[in-house]
Amino acid sequence: MTNNLLGIRQLDIDQIETLLAIAADFKVRIIEGRPVPKITDKVVGMLFFEDSTRTRVSFEQAAHYLGLKTANFAAGASSMSKGETLKDTILTLRYERLDGLVIRHRMSGAPNLAARFFAGPVLNAGDGMHEHPTQALGDALTILERKEKIEGLRVAIVGDVEHSRVARSNAWLLTKLGASVNFVGPRTLMPPNSSLLPGRVYHDLEAGIDGADVIICLRLQRERMAEGLLSSSGEYAAMYQINQRNLAWAAPDCLVMHPGPINRGIEVDDFTADGDQSAITAQIENGIFVRMASLYWVFGGTVAEVMA
Amino acid sequence: MRTLLQNGRILDPAQNMDRIGSVLIENDQVVQVGDVELGNVPADEIYDCTGLWIAPGLVDPHVHLREPGSTHKEDIATGTQAAAAGGYTTICCMPNTNPPLDNPALVDFILDRSASPDAGGVFVAPVGALTRGMKGETLADLAAMKRAGIVAASDEEFPIQNANIMMRAMEFCVQLDLPIMAHCEDTNLSNRGSMNEGAMSAMLGLRGIPRSSEEIAIVRNGLLALHTGCRLHIMRVSTWGAVEMVRQLKFLGAPVTCEICPMHFALTEDMIGDFDTRYKTLPPLRTQIDIDLLLQGINDGTIDCIASDHSPHASYEVDVPFEEAPFGTAQLESSVAVTLTYLTHKGILSPLETIRKLSTAPASILRLEAGSLKPGDTPVAQVTVIDPNLEWTFDRDKTFSKSKNTPFHDFRLKGKSLLTFCGGEIYRDSMFGADRYQIVTSA
Repeated sequence: MTNNLLGIRQLDIDQIETLLAIAADFKVRIIEGRPVPKITDKVVGMLFFEDSTRTRVSFEQAAHYLGLKTANFAAGASSMSKGETLKDTILTLRYERLDGLVIRHRMSGAPNLAARFFAGPVLNAGDGMHEHPTQALGDALTILERKEKIEGLRVAIVGDVEHSRVARSNAWLLTKLGASVNFVGPRTLMPPNSSLLPGRVYHDLEAGIDGADVIICLRLQRERMAEGLLSSSGEYAAMYQINQRNLAWAAPDCLVMHPGPINRGIEVDDFTADGDQSAITAQIENGIFVRMASLYWVFGGTVAEVMA
Repeated sequence: MRTLLQNGRILDPAQNMDRIGSVLIENDQVVQVGDVELGNVPADEIYDCTGLWIAPGLVDPHVHLREPGSTHKEDIATGTQAAAAGGYTTICCMPNTNPPLDNPALVDFILDRSASPDAGGVFVAPVGALTRGMKGETLADLAAMKRAGIVAASDEEFPIQNANIMMRAMEFCVQLDLPIMAHCEDTNLSNRGSMNEGAMSAMLGLRGIPRSSEEIAIVRNGLLALHTGCRLHIMRVSTWGAVEMVRQLKFLGAPVTCEICPMHFALTEDMIGDFDTRYKTLPPLRTQIDIDLLLQGINDGTIDCIASDHSPHASYEVDVPFEEAPFGTAQLESSVAVTLTYLTHKGILSPLETIRKLSTAPASILRLEAGSLKPGDTPVAQVTVIDPNLEWTFDRDKTFSKSKNTPFHDFRLKGKSLLTFCGGEIYRDSMFGADRYQIVTSA
């Protein structure tokens, strides 16, 4: 049986727990130098239609550990730049006999379209403002390591929620596992109607992170200023930066996270980003193990096989 | 040639007629309506219309035929065939072709092509571009196009953003006695959005088109119409606020009318599901609250007529990421059935009011010689026979349109147009004669 990993919203709790359990096991094996199950007979296409360094490297590293071969596909160098549609590109890769696809695209829903025309599993490596499921899985694994369970945690997602696929995937995942989520940010960076998203909206940072066990900072894109959504990054930092002063509003052992790349001094100050409560580097490392788990899982791997 | 449509329910809003009776078509004219006296000459064909509606040929004020320029989506021949199958005898074609319909030579071209024998046999009333190239800058040659036969002017999907240019256009159109059809959208507010701004767009991570984008443009255009006296037909209203704004404009005495498309009263944004581009349309599908108040506006007459906004697109254009997909869907062959299913059978419109909104009202708004069964009212007989109770499943693979981008594929619908006459018979459903309905042919 094969699966797609298009978004967290469609996953049920069992599937999420399976993915996290496989990832945790892989992590221990890699760190202890023990072997992991190999998928040496498969080739996965890496389709990055949008610039990405960390996610791409992370997927490559995950594939490497699993013995999976990857076929790289840079949108600029491909036939997409000659006017080929995404559908035809996907069909081409299908009949190039690729076994799976990892796709990053600037348009929401592009991986859903790819899954319609590709025969094997499709993994979403971030699509527009929609979802970034492997980021959320990595973040969940990081939280689990520090907090032991997600159920009952109070999580604040701070920043540009409207334009953030990380915010959406994290909110789905953490609430499915029993956490409560606050979206915190200025009115202009919040969806006008968030009634179908699993979180409560706060515009005031103090209220939004009050007693929080986890704070996930979101990246602020510079183009938000050009779009008239914010006056300046300075004003944003003054209102929403996570720093030593306002971290006191959260729970004493509150974890601070950021999907990267960080604008130091804007979303989070230096001291907090590099401090004891920061889990930012752990997020990066765990990204590899959840991507290993995701690749393993979409090709039909089960927890039982891993544990065996 | 004498054709008798016998014993049907005659619905003719032009004569305020709703009665059981027959209609006699002789050669290409309706000659008797109601109690038909055949005299000594027998009818050549008698259609048994028991249980069926006999209505004036339907009128669609808003169709994209795509010719010239995009004949991979549709052309005048296939589009008019689809219209005939959908029960229409007169359709207005939109100017957003390539090149745009902004000069009299192209008007002649459209009229010639639609009159050719391989076309569907319906009347095509062209709508000319309001500004040259639909760029919203300088007026198109409206007087010359009016002489060539346009029935209205519109910049369609490229609405004029500069209010001063819109006002000048209206002033000129008052002089020409030419109505303006306006797609009302403030494109700064739409800001490259691809669906309704709301809970669904937030969940899917798609840029939203706010209701205010439509409503502000309706108010602006409506006030300009009030002050210039230009007849303004507001295309495809989709929000509860839009209906309320039109109601207020009419209350103020502005010369405005408006239309609604079947998608907007039948479907909500929820249909988009996981990025289904068959439900991407402009204005976007809204929510149930909007539909509830749109239905009220249809019922109380604020919304004057129903337009299909038939917008065919090729499959390869639609099988793309949602934001890349073009707006609009193929509609001509489902509009009547969707209207009956979602309005008539739900008690929103009486049968007579249904036909008014599908025929007599759009004909009157655009001053077309259509929308009436009264002998002599139209140049040739325009008659549509509808089975209001036939339940069927809409199948995109059995349509005449070149494009299959319908949102109603596999929908169970109740009501179907079966026969269309425009002069002669231009469409007969295969069920007629062969299967369900009787035709008596005199020896």
